[in-house]
Amino acid sequence: MPETKQSRILKGKELITIGIFSAIYFAINFLFMLLGAFHPIMWIFMPAFIALFTGIPFMIMTAKVQKPFAVAIMGAITALIYFATGQFTMVILITFVTSCTLAEICRRATKYNSFWGNTLAFAFFSLGMTGSPLPVWLFRDDFFAQIRDQGIPADYLVSIESLASTEMLFAMLAAPFLLAIIGSFIAKALTKKHFKKAGIV
Amino acid sequence: MSVKDIKKTNLPIDPRSAILLLFIANVVGFMQDSLLVEFATFTALTILLVYCGCVRQGLKWGLIFGLVLALQYHIFLIVPPFVAASFTVLFVYIRKMLPCLMIGTIIVRKIHMRYLLLALRKWRVPQKLIIPLSVTLRYFPAIKEEIMHIRDAMKLRRINGIERFECLVVPLIVSAAGTAEELAAAAVTRGIDNPVKKTSAVDIRFSPIDYISLAAGVLLVGAAFCL
Repeated sequence: MPETKQSRILKGKELITIGIFSAIYFAINFLFMLLGAFHPIMWIFMPAFIALFTGIPFMIMTAKVQKPFAVAIMGAITALIYFATGQFTMVILITFVTSCTLAEICRRATKYNSFWGNTLAFAFFSLGMTGSPLPVWLFRDDFFAQIRDQGIPADYLVSIESLASTEMLFAMLAAPFLLAIIGSFIAKALTKKHFKKAGIV
Repeated sequence: MSVKDIKKTNLPIDPRSAILLLFIANVVGFMQDSLLVEFATFTALTILLVYCGCVRQGLKWGLIFGLVLALQYHIFLIVPPFVAASFTVLFVYIRKMLPCLMIGTIIVRKIHMRYLLLALRKWRVPQKLIIPLSVTLRYFPAIKEEIMHIRDAMKLRRINGIERFECLVVPLIVSAAGTAEELAAAAVTRGIDNPVKKTSAVDIRFSPIDYISLAAGVLLVGAAFCL
């Protein structure tokens, strides 16, 4: 396909495709968000779990829409719905904008159709969700003062505080990146096994 | 619903102020840590819910709020610590989200999607964001339905273990791609790619209740900052 300026603009059909796969992405995302409320460790590794399971909708979407801003729109929709459910903070906003920008740059550099380009874009995109547990490290003292006030017993607090170590911060940031790559390989395997035959991509 | 019917429907509250209130509720939920502001927000929103005709939902949220407070300040002091601790995060979440959920109730129950889209369009949100966003919001119920059907089909064929994941995801994605095709065909036929400014059969306008509720919202933000 010749890369004219016209073919770079998102059309109605692609916008609808982005919308539908964003819905699936968000549904999976929200499921792990809810699970994260039950235990701190689930919350810290929530971005990683999300990365592992949302590889399929993301990779199919990027395969179908090989144009600029597809990922940015997906991120914007996720952010807007999170905002509507009242879980949105400045930290998440910053991580989302950063990760979507990195993902867009990544796709642009690899001409939108390379598997590794999209995989790397997905890995960056997945880092956007780390904005949710990140305040544990950013506002460490405030955060623990707040939960201490809520009457959490001291011994349990110690166990959460040990979770908030520097090593844990690196694990929290590295896990989504690695699991995103695994997630996109799952998507690749399923594409080869099913989606190609079904004529989706 | 025909265009005429929609014209007749009176919105209890302008969608633009509903979205603004959602934003305010976010800020208040995030900023405040005084029980007084929390109660004031809750009371104001309950009044708004009742005004908009969501009396039962108002009662429901009231019950949930009361229950969470009772659990956090009374029951949690006597149950084993690990139980209390695992639920505390959940309850903090619920208390933070409650104002947003209450306004969300009004939006979902009382404001038709086309009014929301009109509000976004009046704010000059790019069409390239409005289209996918509206598709996303409309597709959520379809996902739920789809998953139910797939689960029924899996029960019939006795699929277990890791295979379940594959058997759930593949049909879901295939049907999503199919829906995207169909929806796109319908939308293109109706001129979604037409670059001219879209017109609307309905209109939205601010009324006194919008000004009152927004003023109350600003006051609460002020209170959340000061207290």
